[in-house]
Amino acid sequence: MNAQNESMADSMTMVQQLARGELSVKARLGYVALLLVSTAMTVGLLSLWLTEAFLPLRAHLAFGVMSLIGIAWAALSIWALATRRVLFARDRLIAGRMSVAFTALFLAGAIVAVFISGNAAALGAAATGAVMFAIALRVLTGARRRYMELAMLRAELESQLAH
Amino acid sequence: MNLKSPLPDPRADALLAVRCQLGERGAFDDLIARWHEPLWRYLRRLSNNDDAARDLAQDTWLRVFRGIARLREPAKLRPWLFGVARNVAMDRLRAHYTAGPQADVDLEELPATDDVNLEEEFATLEAGLANLPIVERETLTLFYLRELSLEEIAGLVSVPVGTVKSRLFRARQMLRRVMEGLES
Repeated sequence: MNAQNESMADSMTMVQQLARGELSVKARLGYVALLLVSTAMTVGLLSLWLTEAFLPLRAHLAFGVMSLIGIAWAALSIWALATRRVLFARDRLIAGRMSVAFTALFLAGAIVAVFISGNAAALGAAATGAVMFAIALRVLTGARRRYMELAMLRAELESQLAH
Repeated sequence: MNLKSPLPDPRADALLAVRCQLGERGAFDDLIARWHEPLWRYLRRLSNNDDAARDLAQDTWLRVFRGIARLREPAKLRPWLFGVARNVAMDRLRAHYTAGPQADVDLEELPATDDVNLEEEFATLEAGLANLPIVERETLTLFYLRELSLEEIAGLVSVPVGTVKSRLFRARQMLRRVMEGLES
């Protein structure tokens, strides 16, 4: 029995170590940042690519490859956030705020570019930026609602257990 | 022999699950402290082997960390945890049989007993359990450790409550026969 208990205790130590790596907040939010940056980069590239009328073949190729790279990074971060570094309510709240701040900055930059240059690429980026900003607001609202639901449930359970 | 311990308040488990879903780091420490031992013992009984139980427990916890945010009913933490552990064990068993006899983890054919000094009654029970087929061993383990109710076991193994009862009845008879054999 002692050997079994020792084995169980060893196993618990390993699980505690596993938890430290697996539950890192930095890693989760890192993937959120990667998703935001890669999406913004891809949107910017696509806006430029699709609105330039006359481009040599090699420029088309370069835009295509860079856009694919951006999409691949975005896909990787979505996959990681969905399966490996799933966001908890508190993380979702932070991720939502990050998304709103980042997309607001992107949208503001694109609007300034529209006023300064007035070209179609800036207009396209601003339109996509507005959509991204709306999505980010929605994500933040959902994250807030979920956090409040869980916080209320927690308070209710704590109060029930206290009595 | 009475292995039954008082059932914990299910609201305490629900609170633990909610704290984890909120993302409180300390809640995960509490979750591990509360549930590692029951899960490890369950997996140990399924695998009959300390090393296999350790590997299975790690995989189980990995899935728990990645899946608890999506747990819809925090009050069902207990059956959910055992469900995850069971799925991990069954996946390993399936992989073993698919891979053939060269697989490194043999859940069914590993030595049934350990050469350690067990307390007499517990040793007999452990050895008796280890000699049961996996279905009966699992049912007895889940029920007599008082971790799960008949309804929870039924939900976990996807069979009607009546089937769990009949498995339990059959398992008790088999265990009695095995233990009589061991004691004589």
